[in-house]
Amino acid sequence: MIEIKEITKKFGRKKVLNGVSFTAEKGEITCIIGVNGVGKTTILNAIMNLTPVNSGQILINGEKIHKGSYENVTFIPDAMTMLPQMTISQAMEFMQDFYNTWNQKRASEILGFFKLKESDRISELSKGNKAKVNLLLGLAMDVDFILMDEPFSGIDIFSREQIAEVFTSHLIEDRGVIITTHEIGDIEHLIDKVVLLDQGVVLKEFNSEEMRETEGKSVVDVMREVFKA
Amino acid sequence: MNRYIKLVNFEISRFIKLYFVLIAITVISQVTGTIMISSQYVNSASEAIYQHGVSIEQFITERGLMSMFQVTASLWFLGPIALCIAALIFYTFFIWYRDWFAKNTFIYRLLMLPTARINIYLAKATSIFLLVLGLVALQLFLIPLLSTILKWIVPVDLRLDMSVTELIDSFFYLQIILPQSFVEFLIYYGIGFMVVFIVFTAILFERSFRLKGILLGGVYGILSIAIFTMPFFIFIDYLYPIELLAVETVLGLIVAAMSIWVSHYLLTKKVMV
Repeated sequence: MIEIKEITKKFGRKKVLNGVSFTAEKGEITCIIGVNGVGKTTILNAIMNLTPVNSGQILINGEKIHKGSYENVTFIPDAMTMLPQMTISQAMEFMQDFYNTWNQKRASEILGFFKLKESDRISELSKGNKAKVNLLLGLAMDVDFILMDEPFSGIDIFSREQIAEVFTSHLIEDRGVIITTHEIGDIEHLIDKVVLLDQGVVLKEFNSEEMRETEGKSVVDVMREVFKA
Repeated sequence: MNRYIKLVNFEISRFIKLYFVLIAITVISQVTGTIMISSQYVNSASEAIYQHGVSIEQFITERGLMSMFQVTASLWFLGPIALCIAALIFYTFFIWYRDWFAKNTFIYRLLMLPTARINIYLAKATSIFLLVLGLVALQLFLIPLLSTILKWIVPVDLRLDMSVTELIDSFFYLQIILPQSFVEFLIYYGIGFMVVFIVFTAILFERSFRLKGILLGGVYGILSIAIFTMPFFIFIDYLYPIELLAVETVLGLIVAAMSIWVSHYLLTKKVMV
């Protein structure tokens, strides 16, 4: 389980996160939803200790993040994190060199799933294919948790559909996923837990299935209610 | 340890193309310079002796004997060395900033590696160390080669043969680049690498605290240099040179260790993508 406890982050005088708390369980898809600039990416960066928080605590399976945690949690950022001059094959070799949890068999499977060529140079890929390479590098690891930052941002509809397919495949099964997005459409029916964020504050946290069953509301319905209030 | 070595290998491979360009420029410039300077000398000797009837002795009295000293004091020789030094100084900054500001933000990947983050710092420092030593080794290989080229071009009557040691002794800049004793190596290269550690730490201050970090990095740099140079102002009249060297060595090690410790703290607790 990933536990976020009362985290606060300031950039200069601006408080980007203000006492944010929620948990993400293994085997569930947790979606952090909010408009641009409300602190979604900062939360993921904070979980990975890429942006230190001012106060609060983040625990992964009951422990503070340490170097070994990166074998157990993978982060797929919005930006491309491999060098542009690398080929996909070189990027995979890099991962294999450094991570014990890299699963080459799964990497080859994802490569085929996304119809990517190992010899393709990262700098020559379209934005959609770069997003797929990012997903490949994250999903091919045998980890308990996957963090994804805006995986559908700015890419074409066909790539979005292909990426959305990943969420229903065995590539995600049994793992815990935290995803940030402001485009809920593609994966609304797949989400287990929703965290609605605005101005660095959690406005509402709910289980989407329970919400549908008890109140008959979809995630989008709740979003409209909460964000318009 | 294994991942540290992989990181060093990776860092060097990222610079290797530019490094080979620097090596090529150095070799081409120094070999060309040796050929040009030697040929000019031989041409002017031929012209004086065969066209103007000047005796060899008189020509030597007027122009002096040709030696490697003329080559090493020329822009052909010193220019590429200066270029390599400038490139490596630039690279000391670039090795960090490219990971944040290049087209793809590779710093995400580096900071998420399942290894102690200080290994990133040490790998970058080690790669700079190895790149510098590589260029020094190249120079040590090139000097005898250039001497041989000079001997091919200039007749024995017109030249003064110098050993590598004599050549280095005769030229101050070469004494810094190619130290002749371990103590000199310790002084010149020890100070150089201590400065690299200080600069790396200052960069990490900036990457951790941004605008405020520039000030903190500057203060850290000044403080480190002040600690290191303090004995020159306080103990210079009381210590023998060997004692001063011992004190400086200890202080240099303290400053380097302090830089590594502060960088470790910044990398694990403060640095931001």
